[in-house]
Amino acid sequence: MKNYIIRRIIQMIPVFIGILFILFFILEQAPGTPVSNMMIPKMTPEQKAELAQKLGLDIPWYERFVNWIGEALHGNLGYSINHKKPVVEVMKDYVGPTLLLSLVSLAISVIIGIPAGVISATKQYSITDNILTVVSFIGISIPSFFFGLLLLKNFAVDVQIFPLFGLKNPLLMSTNPVDKALDVAWHLVLPSIVLGLGSTASFMRYTRSSMLEVIKQDYIRTARAKGLKEKTVIYRHAFRNAVIPIITLLGFWIPSLLSGAVVTETIFALPGLGKISVEATMTRNYPLILGINAMLAVLTLMGALAADILYAIADPRIRYD
Amino acid sequence: MKARKLVSLILSVMMIIMLFAGCTSQTAQPAPSEPEKPAEQPAEEPKADKILKFGGTGFGGLFNPIMSDNTYDTYVADILFEKLVTNNAEGEMVPVLAEWTISEDKLTYTFTLKDGIKFSDGSDLTTEDVAFTYETIAHPDYNGPRAYAVSSMVGYEEFHSGASDTFEGIKIIDDKTISFTFGEGLAAPANIESFLYGIMPSDYYAFDTWEDFLALNEKPIGSGMMVFDSWEPKQFIKLMKNTNYWDPDNGAKIDGILISEVPDESILSALQTEQIDFAQISSSAENLQAAEALSNISIANFLGNGYTFMCFNTIKPQLSDVRVRQALMYALDRESFIEAQYGAGLATVGMAPISPSSWAFPDSSELNAYKFDMAKAAQLMDEAGWTMGNDGFRYKDGEKFHVNWLVYTDSSWPGTLSGMAADTWKQLGVELEIELMDFDTVSSRTMDAAPGEKDFDIYTMGFSLNIDPDPSGALFDDDAYVAGGFNASGYKNAEAMKLVKAGKAEFDTAKRAEIYKEWAKIMNYEIPHVIIAYRSEIWGINNRVKGMDLGTFRTWDQCLKNITIE
Repeated sequence: MKNYIIRRIIQMIPVFIGILFILFFILEQAPGTPVSNMMIPKMTPEQKAELAQKLGLDIPWYERFVNWIGEALHGNLGYSINHKKPVVEVMKDYVGPTLLLSLVSLAISVIIGIPAGVISATKQYSITDNILTVVSFIGISIPSFFFGLLLLKNFAVDVQIFPLFGLKNPLLMSTNPVDKALDVAWHLVLPSIVLGLGSTASFMRYTRSSMLEVIKQDYIRTARAKGLKEKTVIYRHAFRNAVIPIITLLGFWIPSLLSGAVVTETIFALPGLGKISVEATMTRNYPLILGINAMLAVLTLMGALAADILYAIADPRIRYD
Repeated sequence: MKARKLVSLILSVMMIIMLFAGCTSQTAQPAPSEPEKPAEQPAEEPKADKILKFGGTGFGGLFNPIMSDNTYDTYVADILFEKLVTNNAEGEMVPVLAEWTISEDKLTYTFTLKDGIKFSDGSDLTTEDVAFTYETIAHPDYNGPRAYAVSSMVGYEEFHSGASDTFEGIKIIDDKTISFTFGEGLAAPANIESFLYGIMPSDYYAFDTWEDFLALNEKPIGSGMMVFDSWEPKQFIKLMKNTNYWDPDNGAKIDGILISEVPDESILSALQTEQIDFAQISSSAENLQAAEALSNISIANFLGNGYTFMCFNTIKPQLSDVRVRQALMYALDRESFIEAQYGAGLATVGMAPISPSSWAFPDSSELNAYKFDMAKAAQLMDEAGWTMGNDGFRYKDGEKFHVNWLVYTDSSWPGTLSGMAADTWKQLGVELEIELMDFDTVSSRTMDAAPGEKDFDIYTMGFSLNIDPDPSGALFDDDAYVAGGFNASGYKNAEAMKLVKAGKAEFDTAKRAEIYKEWAKIMNYEIPHVIIAYRSEIWGINNRVKGMDLGTFRTWDQCLKNITIE
């Protein structure tokens, strides 16, 4: 197992460099530069050109690619053009809220989605199953901006239970950490429902189909024939086998924890990575685009590895040697 | 079995409830903090209700007068830092920190600082700090957007390239007096706009490396009536009253300002629920109507200082003839466009490339509004030699009349306008190809590209203007027709350029107005860039806020010392 993990990590390096190379190439092909959007009529073309030169835009992209990797090995991802501070620090500012929001909504979707999927599968074609199926299709298909605005209209404007924007109440003077945590939790309720709904629904569908497949297996019939209680059959014998594909799914979920949810973040004015990556793209903030995407690439690769390892742990038949 | 079925049915129903009305189950835990809120706040912070709350999107975190590059960061910098001069509501320059005199040759500006000016950390503001601020803009490592403020002063090149350690054009005469000298031949009334940037304390901002300087962007110290308290990126910025303000009689009458990131979609709701006191509302008829329906806010509706324009690439054979450009304008119903996009009264048809609120704006009766007239358009096209073919398109020398239009989707108006043009121009016999893209792509294909490589026929964009009407360097400057310059039209007119140069250097406002009137008439006829519309700004202000008199030349930060909260 140890050898397997080491081998996999070594294999990741060329893949990662390949991803970066493609990223640099795409950015080079995209029209526009970080100075294109500076609409200050008093600025002369020479002054614009000087700024571009200070950003290193006069260097060919393949050279920038090599330089970037060299610097990145020393932990330096460059300066974010719009923020005028190191990319690492910009990412630090925004990673917390994104991670918090995605973990809460992932927790919601796992806690609700998986049991609901199990119930749905064991009661296939019952009223319960039908209702859950309809709900999950609504969950998958409702656009998050619409659902978000609907919740805001109902619970932040008509009935003012929840705040309209932000992650913290800046006028909260209390220094008690419990109050602060409650304040953040109170701000996160609506966004995590919006973000959680879609993934709850997909977890429910995955669990349902995976359970249905397992329940039809011979060993489940054998278990029932042994006279085991239905609960034991479902949760000990069927569920453990059905959960394996779900674990794989969770591994691939890791990068999306940090990629942010642009729409949800925008509607609820949450300071997340999704929103700044879109901004960075629109303004051609190359260093920040590269920083965020490099991080996501690493997470995707790690997520795939984590899924494989978890797979082996959950299923004793799988051995990597 | 039945019982179990029932249980699972109940469970699933509960789940649905959790999903949809889910808030109820979610509230259970954080709810206690909610009812406490109104009660607890006044108790712990008695003056929280004296904090002015502003909402908007797009704060970047560059709270520095020489680095800020968007409207919102600039508001913060303008509040925290005071400038040598500012403008009043009429757009005239008035002293803030210093009185000034202009030398006989109009090249040297001498400023005398007022007495007793102190930064919020208690240190004195002297000419040392003024010189430091301007020398930092000229510093070789400077990478902000304000180089133009100092680049026409004597000795800029030498200082900026590092060849000289002193900036010849900036002379400290004593603690209170400092002079700035502009280069020979560069005398212009607009030069006073170089002094619209906040003064930074030289001790606090002194830097060894440029990174050291940038690190202070988020920890600003100035001499303004507010001090920086705290901020959370993309959430809020909190400013508190400067209790050591050097001019206590003119200090703030409010206890602080809270600037929150509020998405456009929620601005009206936030005003309605009083989570913010005031905000700009994006200009449209529906928004104005919705805002007027709110009883707790009043509305400020005034002309914005700027315009939207359309640029014709006059190098292209089909657009080089002025009659064709005019025909295209006659065939564009801008009044209907304004009604559809902004609502009647929230924008007016553009004519001269000058803000209608400026003293330089000519009498509209002398300008052509290109009122929608298809017959006239067709006649002009015929005169220009583009005759209607059998397929409904116009041809000249066997060439079909085809134009492309670069439309950015970052805001909605270019899409509306080009959509309307597609319909009426089709009737005129013009084949229009609309290309959708983002703003950066439009500007890179038009302005950034070198002459000859400019890959467009028509593009549209919006510009905000300075108070001084001088158009040089921008859309109508022949010299700006270079890679990275703002003039992408390729249109050159020596006579118009002479007027631009004369207007720039003329110090007599009445004479200047005459010059710009002449110039505006030429541009209104030739239309290499045609002004589409002048738009209004709508602001919603809570009734508890008094003294906020916004106007074309008056932003809310300039009203600050008059603002009270009831």
